Amino acid sequence: MATQTAPTTRALVVPSGVPVRRRPQRGARLLIWVFLAPTVIGLGLFSFIPILGSFLLAFFRWDIISAPEFIGVANFVDLAANPTVRVSFLNTIGFVVVAVTLQLAVALLLAILVQSRMPAWLRTFFRSALFFPLVLSAASVSLVMSYLFNQEFGLVNEFLGLFGVGKIGWLTTGFGAKIVVLLVYVWQNFGFTFLLFIGGLAAIPKEVYEASSLDGAHGWTQFRHVTLPLVSPTMLVASVMAIIGALQIFDQPYVLTRGGPGDDTRTAVMVIYESAFQQLDFGLASAIGIVLTLLIVLVTAAQFQLSKRFVFYG
Amino acid sequence: MVELSRRAALALLGLGLAGTAMSWPRLTGGDIPGRGDDALTVALFGTAQDAAARQSLVEGFQRKHPGIPVRIIAVQGQDWGNFFAKILTMVAAGTPPDIVSVATEGTQLFAERLAHPIDEYVQRDAAELQEYFDDVNPSLIESFMYQGNLFQLPDNFNAANMYYNTSAFERAGLERPRDDWSVDDFFTVARTMQGSATDSFLPYFWNNRLWGGVVPWLYINDTSFLTEEKASGGDWLWSRFYPDETPRGGGYLWQQADALNERTVESFEVLQRMVGEGIAANPAQGGGNELVSLFSRGSVGMTPAGGFWVKGLHDAGLADDEYDVTFFPKMRGQRHQFGAGGYAMMQTSERKDEAWEWMKYCISVEGMSIAHAQPDSSLPRRSLNAQLYGGDVGPKHWEVFYDTLDRFPTTGPMPAPPQQAAVESALIKNVVSTITNGPSGVRRGLETMQRDLELALKGR
Repeated sequence: MATQTAPTTRALVVPSGVPVRRRPQRGARLLIWVFLAPTVIGLGLFSFIPILGSFLLAFFRWDIISAPEFIGVANFVDLAANPTVRVSFLNTIGFVVVAVTLQLAVALLLAILVQSRMPAWLRTFFRSALFFPLVLSAASVSLVMSYLFNQEFGLVNEFLGLFGVGKIGWLTTGFGAKIVVLLVYVWQNFGFTFLLFIGGLAAIPKEVYEASSLDGAHGWTQFRHVTLPLVSPTMLVASVMAIIGALQIFDQPYVLTRGGPGDDTRTAVMVIYESAFQQLDFGLASAIGIVLTLLIVLVTAAQFQLSKRFVFYG
Repeated sequence: MVELSRRAALALLGLGLAGTAMSWPRLTGGDIPGRGDDALTVALFGTAQDAAARQSLVEGFQRKHPGIPVRIIAVQGQDWGNFFAKILTMVAAGTPPDIVSVATEGTQLFAERLAHPIDEYVQRDAAELQEYFDDVNPSLIESFMYQGNLFQLPDNFNAANMYYNTSAFERAGLERPRDDWSVDDFFTVARTMQGSATDSFLPYFWNNRLWGGVVPWLYINDTSFLTEEKASGGDWLWSRFYPDETPRGGGYLWQQADALNERTVESFEVLQRMVGEGIAANPAQGGGNELVSLFSRGSVGMTPAGGFWVKGLHDAGLADDEYDVTFFPKMRGQRHQFGAGGYAMMQTSERKDEAWEWMKYCISVEGMSIAHAQPDSSLPRRSLNAQLYGGDVGPKHWEVFYDTLDRFPTTGPMPAPPQQAAVESALIKNVVSTITNGPSGVRRGLETMQRDLELALKGR
């Protein structure tokens, strides 16, 4: 009969009261590495090495065909002076602000509605239906939307025409194109945020609501002082993920408008793609990628800092 | 926790290594049929179905050259720019094809960076090729010359002609326009069609792209958005194959932005008037997927398209007499725009002689007939278009497709310098804002376009 081995990583408490961890035995260490190896190798090969390569490439001029040429920080100087890059970043930031606000608001509102009293089958239906757009291909959705919002023959203008509204250039005017990209993106992406909120709302104990009701809190007051604080950890996670996702928007504007009219819907990732695969300027594309990554890191760090003031962990 | 002995760890490692070794062909893609074979690798723009459809071409080629195995790689892409990007990725990955189908959009990029000139092969096999050149309009050949060298031989082309819906014409009491109709005639036709139609009818539908977008309207006004010059050289070709023609030089050069040229401004003002008046669509970028259905159900009166569209309309169920084709209207001139396609031999290929045999086969009567058994493109060989369009499928005036070259000798390729992708991007992103902000917005839009084109051409 095999003897039972004592846990190898348990914490010990030395007389001084400071807990120390005992090093796992060599066999256990090997096993840990064996289990970690696939992930570490995968991440290394397909994430860390490309990230490092992209970082290095930002200091080179490279068009795939010729040998890379070291040019120092010239790519960063060029991108700062490039009006298209500037506009695309401003577009992206503006988009993130509006899209994430809408995404969180719509998802929370719908989550509260779905969590309210309704038959279980209807709740299941709504959960599935509202999540469904997320599983669709963004390119396919955008293609269909481009038909719907076509100025001359689209169903949206046909419908608005019934009320005497003239043909709106949804995809051919700057404002219209921004609205369409925003709507399509939010419609397709709020499903995940919605599910997070469903989970967050379900975790709030009923007793808290009962107690607040006894104290006279109902409706908006209850939402403001009970629901919102208790769902704030979920809000933090949802907003971090939504912002990171929105900063990387590409498919919708690429298919719907190709960044137009002009540069009105051009985003940072579109400029990365165009620089690399249309203008064959992989160095500049990498430099823009690094700036975008830094922006994402900064925004996320700021969110976590702010969360100390606004997130209530109970 | 389970402990792992050194022996067990070694055994696991050995198993892992053995597994890796066994699956090596899969990991490296070596088990993909044909990969690593000593075959001539041909990359074409299309789907796996397109590659399969070329099988008869491969079989025809191998009947003549049984010793040259051929592998077709279909590369999918949204447009030619996307296709070229993928070919470049193959080059960067160290697996370049031997020969690539390249359209006008990529001719100069490939010629400058990737393709091998075929001058020596053409001169070597001049006697054999004479009948090909006799059958092909020199404008098509010229479009594949760059800096005095020839890089491709055209095996298909499409000129931007004006398709019109005959039902819409009849409803408006209109007859087929004269071949030399003017832009004023075009406006009259469009307004008349609109007057006789319902709300959901658009007299002229167009897309914002390099082929069939604003360029035809610039070319008929003898202008463009880039300056157009000719490189020196190429006399060896013209004197040998087209001795009766004035030598055309060594290929097109598009080196400067020219969006503020007065004629260019004038052409954009015409487009602005069309869109402002509601007789032309306001073109969305990258649009056009819906055009076949709109045209075939009679919602569109006229649209620019080439011989390739005959198949599209036939597949959509449109009868031959429900549409027809004519030339673009005349402004200062009636120069038309075309795009052509052919194979380019890669510099890196170690099978250049075999690649040349493939190129020759594809431009032969047999090869071209097999590759284009259906009317999906006009054929550079004048003689083959009659059987392609004059038989069961095609509009009444199908001769227009080739007459565009023969009757208008200045007809030329769309402007596609080596920086084509950046140039096209600079063009199309400024078209809509140029034509939708009223008459005063035209020059303002073109100033921005000029700036963007200069940046695109300058590169870094």
